[in-house]
Amino acid sequence: SRKFRSNWSQGDKDTTKEVTIIRRGHTPARWTREEVVTPPLPGHAATSSLMATPMDFKTYVDQACRAAEEFVSIYYDTMDKRRQALTRLYLDKATLIWNGNIVSGLDALNNFFDMLPSSEFQVNMLDCQPVHEQATQSQTTILVVTSGTVKFDGNKQHYFNQNFLLTAQSTPNNTVWKIASDCFRFQDWASS
Amino acid sequence: MCSTLRKCGTYRTEVAGHHDHGSTFQGRKKDGNPFQDNFDKRNPRYEHGGRELPPSGCQENDGSVEMGDVHKDRQLRHTPYSVEHNKKLVKWHSEVRIHTTTWRNRKCPERKMMEDTQDRKTSAWFKVTIPYGEKYDKAWLINSIQSHCSVPFTPLDFHYFQNRAHFFVQGASTASALNNVNYMICDDQNRKICIFVNHSSAPFSVKNRLKPSQMELLKLTMDKRYDVSRQALDLQRLRFDPDLTGSDVDIILNRRNCMAATLKIIESNFPELLSLNLCNNKLYQLDGLSDITEKAPKVKILNLSKNELMSVWELGKVKGLKLEELWLEGNPLCSTFFDKSAYVSAIQDCFPKLLRLDGRELSPAVTVDIDSSEFMKPCEESRNGFETLKHIVLQFLQQYYSIYDSGERRGLLGAYHEEACFSMTIPFNPEDSAPKSLSQYFGESRNIKVVKDPDLRGQLLRHTKRDIVDFLGALPKTQHDLSSFLVDTWYQTKRMLCFSVNGVFKEVEGQSQGSVLAFTRTFIATRGSNSSLCIVNDELFVRDVSPPETQSAFSIPVSTPSSSSEPSLSQEQQEMVQAFSAQSGMKLEWSQKCLQDNEWNYTRAGQVFTMFQTEGKIPAEAFKQIP
Repeated sequence: SRKFRSNWSQGDKDTTKEVTIIRRGHTPARWTREEVVTPPLPGHAATSSLMATPMDFKTYVDQACRAAEEFVSIYYDTMDKRRQALTRLYLDKATLIWNGNIVSGLDALNNFFDMLPSSEFQVNMLDCQPVHEQATQSQTTILVVTSGTVKFDGNKQHYFNQNFLLTAQSTPNNTVWKIASDCFRFQDWASS
Repeated sequence: MCSTLRKCGTYRTEVAGHHDHGSTFQGRKKDGNPFQDNFDKRNPRYEHGGRELPPSGCQENDGSVEMGDVHKDRQLRHTPYSVEHNKKLVKWHSEVRIHTTTWRNRKCPERKMMEDTQDRKTSAWFKVTIPYGEKYDKAWLINSIQSHCSVPFTPLDFHYFQNRAHFFVQGASTASALNNVNYMICDDQNRKICIFVNHSSAPFSVKNRLKPSQMELLKLTMDKRYDVSRQALDLQRLRFDPDLTGSDVDIILNRRNCMAATLKIIESNFPELLSLNLCNNKLYQLDGLSDITEKAPKVKILNLSKNELMSVWELGKVKGLKLEELWLEGNPLCSTFFDKSAYVSAIQDCFPKLLRLDGRELSPAVTVDIDSSEFMKPCEESRNGFETLKHIVLQFLQQYYSIYDSGERRGLLGAYHEEACFSMTIPFNPEDSAPKSLSQYFGESRNIKVVKDPDLRGQLLRHTKRDIVDFLGALPKTQHDLSSFLVDTWYQTKRMLCFSVNGVFKEVEGQSQGSVLAFTRTFIATRGSNSSLCIVNDELFVRDVSPPETQSAFSIPVSTPSSSSEPSLSQEQQEMVQAFSAQSGMKLEWSQKCLQDNEWNYTRAGQVFTMFQTEGKIPAEAFKQIP
């Protein structure tokens, strides 16, 4: 994958066919996927701050979809199988609203995820949108919306809805996405 | 070597910056001489009035190491610190180092004092340093320390320098008690707070205390500038007051001793002060002024215009005042903001109850405080302290859905940003096909787990407000049950708000007429100046209801918005609804109905409400649930 990486910085590469830099199942044990990483954002590849070409909307949308798919597969997998690593996907000041309860900051998130029983998630629906820069002050952000079922150990199965705000942290080689905010609710919250 | 001189106009030259001997030793600077480092990093804006004497317990003869009292202006004007001077200082301090290290190992200061051959007064001064203290609020810090300290103390000359907080105390027993508070206090992130205590010379404001004659003159001058009728004290350009310049009294308010004297006079002579004007006094920092929260707590109007304040952080030092009016224009900090609203927001963060800034009325700021709640128990509205935002959000949703349900969804154009995005989805169950009730939405569902073609994904994402509103117009006509709405406000900044609405609606026409569906709609909106929201992202998820949801849906009458000819509520009407709801305790839609039925005559509506209530005619569901 090192070979692939060096080609991305050329900028005019057809970006629809790339591969995630770290591939599941083919990496040594220590390269488990603990970060949501996608290729560098177009325009960020060449120089750090000046955008060579402004991103057109379609590219924004494609990038958002890619990041969302990558994110969702890592997030729920980590939640189910490597719960202790889950908070690495969150920003330091991230907030989670879990069925109306607020959990704010990494320490609180760590405690919360420790307390939460083990889970089995099944995601059936995923949608995403790039968030308009007017709202985010040019911090590249995407909205991710998911839905499906979850079974927590010792509890019955629930349908859930969840949405995330993911923000991009760009480096010349890649983009790392982290959760700025997370809102989770059972669909039957009223009766549980 | 940086020059320590700064000639500024007609002011006498002063030393910029302040040596922080105590902290130099505690600081862990890996390269170079720590002292040198500090020396270079003078904060020109900080004016504690000069260097302290080095910890004087360590040398026999105090006088010889004194590198020049900075207040001997003559010297300063003509003799910038030379390199030789520095070398001497450097050398001297490496000798002192050992003593200070001993101190850090917590030898009793009293014992140490007795070891001194120096003839000293019994009430020695000590300087207390809190590394990283910059992030702590002064009042909180002092109170926390006091609560852990066995001896009551009076902190003097509290100030921040670089990232540390400092203050002075008198008396070895006090110093010793404070030393013991080290590592005993935890901040709100559970980090232990370090407290270092070192010998020091007297603090600036004490060393340079105004003489009684000077105090008397200052008091008379201030009396002349006091307006009894408005309880206002005008101290602008105080230094150049003719009464003061005539005599030998130089009131430079940026200096701690002058500010302390001024505040002392205010405390004794004008304790009920309401308005204070400090315009044009070359204030670089507000450490001195921070004592005003104790000395004149009633001040509501503060004029700090035309000073030299560099950042809003300075204002935080006086945030204990419940200001209603503030003047800041003419300070360097004003031009550091991207735009006016960012400036206003930043000030409002500091003074939430502020009504007027630089002479302009402000819309009341939204205050947010987070409170904690229990885990694992799903609860109603997310009790995340965004209570005041709830009104904005609820008002928005009321308006939005009244248009949405009206049948003329073109009215929603005003709610969206020019380049907003919208998409919708329905649940995907791998086993069954889409239920009949959702069949109309099936083709529009942008579930990217199912839809893999990038072009189709692009098409299903509606972009620009025209496209969105056209698309929404084509969806079946609906009636939403606002009382079923559950809103999670899950992210906010000054610029934007994210919230998710969970609820149910009925389809009132078409093949699925009468069917009740559930939805989760996520909005991301930018915030305008007058609490207005402008949608930039909108995602709608529609699903079948579960049996319990059907039962509770639409069980109480909702004021159905009438046909499209009726205009949506005006700003004033919305405010009336809010106020009526707050006063009566009824839910918003019931309040609205009551007002509408009474032709928006607030008083009459109130009378009607009271009458019905006493007669027991209003059902319980009309009232807001008490959380």
